Amino acid sequence: MKVLNRRLWHTIRGSLGQFLGMAIIITVGISLYIGITTAFFNLSQSQEVFYQDNNFADYYFYVVRAPESIMKQVESVPGVALASARIQKDVPVLKEEDERASVRITSYALPIENQVNSIQLLDGRLFSENPVGGGIEVMVNQGYLDANFLSLGDKIDIVAENKKYSVKVAGTATGPEFTYIMKDASNMMPDNETFGIMMVPLKQAQQLFNLSGQFNQVLVQFTPGADVDATVKSIEDLLSPYGNLSSFPRKDQLSHAALEGELAGLDAMSSFLPLVFLSIAAAIQFVILRRMIKTQRTQIGIMKALGFDNWQIVYHFSSYAILVCAFGALAGILAGVSMASYFSDMYAMFFNLPQAIGGVNYQVIINSLLLSLGVGALAGFSASRPVLSISPAESMRPSPPGRSSRSLLEYWTWLWSKLSSSWKMAFRTISRNRFRLVISIFGMVSAVALLILSMFTNDAVDYLMDQHFNKESSYDYMLTFNQPVKESELLSISRLEGVNIIEGLFYLPIRVHHQGQTSEDVLVGINPSNTLKKPTRENGSLIPIPSEGMIISRRTANRLGLQVGDTVHLETLMGLGPARYADVKITAVNHQLFGNESFISLPQANQILQESQLITGALMKVNSRQAKIIESQLSDMTGITSIVSRQKERDNIMSMMDSMIYMVSTMIMFSVILGFVIIYNSVIMSFNERKRELASLLTIGFTRREVAGIMWRETIPQAVPAILLGLPAGKMLADLYFKSIDFDMWYMPVVIYPSSYALAALGGVVFVVLGQWAASRGIKKLNIIELSKNID
Amino acid sequence: MDTEVLMKLNKVSKTYIMGEVTVEALKETSLDIYSGELLVILGPSGSGKSTLLNIIGGMDKPSSGDIIYRDRSLTKASDRDLTLFRRNEIGFVFQFYNLISDLTAGENVELAAGLVENPLTSQDVLAQVGLADRVDHFPSQLSGGEQQRISIARAMVKNPTLLLCDEPTGALDYQTGITILELLKKAQQSMGSTIIIVTHNTAIGAIADRLVRMRSGSIAEVIVNEAPVPPERIEW
Ligand SMILES: Nc1ncnc2c1ncn2[C@@H]1O[C@H](COP(=O)(O)OP(=O)(O)OP(=O)(O)O)[C@@H](O)[C@H]1O
Ligand SMILES: [Mg+2]
Repeated sequence: MKVLNRRLWHTIRGSLGQFLGMAIIITVGISLYIGITTAFFNLSQSQEVFYQDNNFADYYFYVVRAPESIMKQVESVPGVALASARIQKDVPVLKEEDERASVRITSYALPIENQVNSIQLLDGRLFSENPVGGGIEVMVNQGYLDANFLSLGDKIDIVAENKKYSVKVAGTATGPEFTYIMKDASNMMPDNETFGIMMVPLKQAQQLFNLSGQFNQVLVQFTPGADVDATVKSIEDLLSPYGNLSSFPRKDQLSHAALEGELAGLDAMSSFLPLVFLSIAAAIQFVILRRMIKTQRTQIGIMKALGFDNWQIVYHFSSYAILVCAFGALAGILAGVSMASYFSDMYAMFFNLPQAIGGVNYQVIINSLLLSLGVGALAGFSASRPVLSISPAESMRPSPPGRSSRSLLEYWTWLWSKLSSSWKMAFRTISRNRFRLVISIFGMVSAVALLILSMFTNDAVDYLMDQHFNKESSYDYMLTFNQPVKESELLSISRLEGVNIIEGLFYLPIRVHHQGQTSEDVLVGINPSNTLKKPTRENGSLIPIPSEGMIISRRTANRLGLQVGDTVHLETLMGLGPARYADVKITAVNHQLFGNESFISLPQANQILQESQLITGALMKVNSRQAKIIESQLSDMTGITSIVSRQKERDNIMSMMDSMIYMVSTMIMFSVILGFVIIYNSVIMSFNERKRELASLLTIGFTRREVAGIMWRETIPQAVPAILLGLPAGKMLADLYFKSIDFDMWYMPVVIYPSSYALAALGGVVFVVLGQWAASRGIKKLNIIELSKNID
Repeated sequence: MDTEVLMKLNKVSKTYIMGEVTVEALKETSLDIYSGELLVILGPSGSGKSTLLNIIGGMDKPSSGDIIYRDRSLTKASDRDLTLFRRNEIGFVFQFYNLISDLTAGENVELAAGLVENPLTSQDVLAQVGLADRVDHFPSQLSGGEQQRISIARAMVKNPTLLLCDEPTGALDYQTGITILELLKKAQQSMGSTIIIVTHNTAIGAIADRLVRMRSGSIAEVIVNEAPVPPERIEW
């Protein structure tokens, strides 16, 4: 056996390039497996623990105001395990530089641990209900503190019910509903500078909003096995007298949905990506071993004649594949562990999970070892099967010249007759090794498709930015008033210097009823002539606002199974005034990218409310030079709750995008490596097999360059179709990826720009040229004198 | 037979250095090759026959000595020059045929024909070697002798000045071997090619115009054969 091991070592040294190439693919596959799986595992683990520890709510109920006394009844509804009442409202923050921000005041009764959606202290201390020296103490989320350069003990000025309060930051905290803090679903990403969470004691929240003894939200956890529908129905019945009741399950909670979306993406990738790399590595190993066994037929015969049994020989050849995988796996584990910590850091940044996610997952490492060794053993043993049928006597006879088969192209006689001998040779060599051809093409297609997948996130974001900031809406500022005002009041703002366009709109929360089902939605009342905000069709084109009828949001249309032409029943959910009802016909479906909004004409919105010319906010386009001044003038005006600047939002997204560069470039590198190894292997195998023939071409007067040309002729008919096929395959992969995530909250079209196709194809050309170059360096060393010697 | 010197080897040596050991495969060998002759090089294994033939054919460069082909010195020829020399002047036939397995017999011949400006027609050459009906067969579908005939056709189609054969019959049975030698003889007579055959089979020496005997890297003797025997009459 010692001799066999030495022989194995010799074989590896003789094919070092191929050995390392395959090992690298395994390394990539395993590191992706470990990196993504660990990140998935850590993220979902900390999600679970976090939810568990903090009693994450199963259901949310919002009302205008309800007395605390009703909670006793809510708690006794069958199916309710835990219920908490709280106050949650957004209020403006007054900042020094006249900048606008708002915080979501969220109340907690003591002791906090017993609350549904309780919180965990991160830094500082808990607020006190009765701080020394009076006033109000709060906790904020860490992101808000950092982004606004605040320290513990600092004061924040807020406005509640038209009164200014200076509250003191006692600490920072986080909770399961604050993992991904966005004001609403119409934001693309969190913006810590302008929006934060402010946690206050219940008693003080009641004071701030003149709601003593009252609340506006109920959070519920169900008992295991509870009849959710019935329980929800009973609670809704209890709460419906208290105004504008709306309710939604956990899956519609914004940060939960964002986290789940990320988990689904990780889950899909954690098995898909490693599978691609490992299966290609296995296929290449199979092909190489088969080839090795074929060329070493005589030697295998001699070994058998000497008395080695089949198992020893099969084991000997399989060891090659197993060693490739073991090498690859070891490197992959090292790379994977550091990748896992990178991913974990990134998620720690994205999702405010308190427990340090990260750490090494030994189970995943063991799995990855087993996985790669399994791949090696499978490739090795299946490739070694022909060893069994080699008979020692027969194998001693010299093998006949390589068998050639006619290429399919030959049936096209016209074309075939036009081809030069070297092209004919190339096509026949390719078709002689059909299996190898399939592997090479499959491998190259995958590599190019992965290139597209790596690059398309950039396109998608770019498209989203363009669609979101330039097409669907093109305003610079969005103002929200603290109560509905007459449209004519916009005049005073429009007179400010530098205001180019100002357009009023009405945000009307509604419930849509259709065939016994309901869905909550936001109806945007806007003038048909408006230019700054538009609903969009699925293909991204804009839909004009009809004077009669509504454009329904994609989500509601999906939930209620609505078609254009259906008539729905609307119920308004305004915080004040009685609920109004109306039947409205659907004229189109809005596929806006972020958030879900339905549209209606402003007059019709007013008509539903039995009002006229009311608006709740306005969109503005301003002269960019005067933007700062206008912003500060607006900040001085009373009655404006929030001023959202698009530029801020845009900058914020761009800075988030920067952190993706590392991932994108890593994936591009991996794809190019994959393509390179495939080409390298395929060329080098073909070269080794045909050394004699190629050398004999040199003797009859071919130059080395012409011989290299012949090798190229074999690669080109494989590489060109593979690269071309890779492009649509990449599109399909991107489609599949988005399908596996399936956002409800965001509409994500798969957009791939022509430039990305071009870049992916270029990447394909790069790995083909590199692989070909590396593999055909051997042509320089071809020794024509060997030819006159015996066949080796 | 005219006696124009086609190639002149002057004190040509070839030394292989392998670490500590140096092998003198060829020691200061001088030889004139006459245009249109059939030269047979005989000698025991390891005596340097192939080395000499490879140097004549521009496949290898000598360690020292001069080579003059017609009026041109090949001593300092570059790789590129040697490739052109092989392309235009030389035809090679090997013991193990070395056909391109992915080309049919006919295409193997055409491949070589495409390299020179005035090749013979492939069909004619294939007819000459008696395999016109096997043009569409792949090497794997031909016997050893047939493969060797294709390999001769491949060498001949370029209409080379020098046809070099290293053990052309070494892998073949007696009868087939004779056929191959007949073909070579015919090429010499009909096309005026200069032919060099390397072999360790002394019987083949009888067909030569001149016979070169080699022993451990040197030419031991050169014998002029006044009455070459036609191949079909020799025996081994
Ligand atoms: N590439 C090489 N490296 C080292 N030594 C070599 C090399 N090629 C040939 N030799 C040595 O040169 C000597 C002559 O070799 P050559 O091949 O010319 O012999 P030969 O007469 O053709 O023998 P055979 O009849 O066995 O083919 C031998 O001793 C051989 O070992
Ligand atoms: Mg020899």
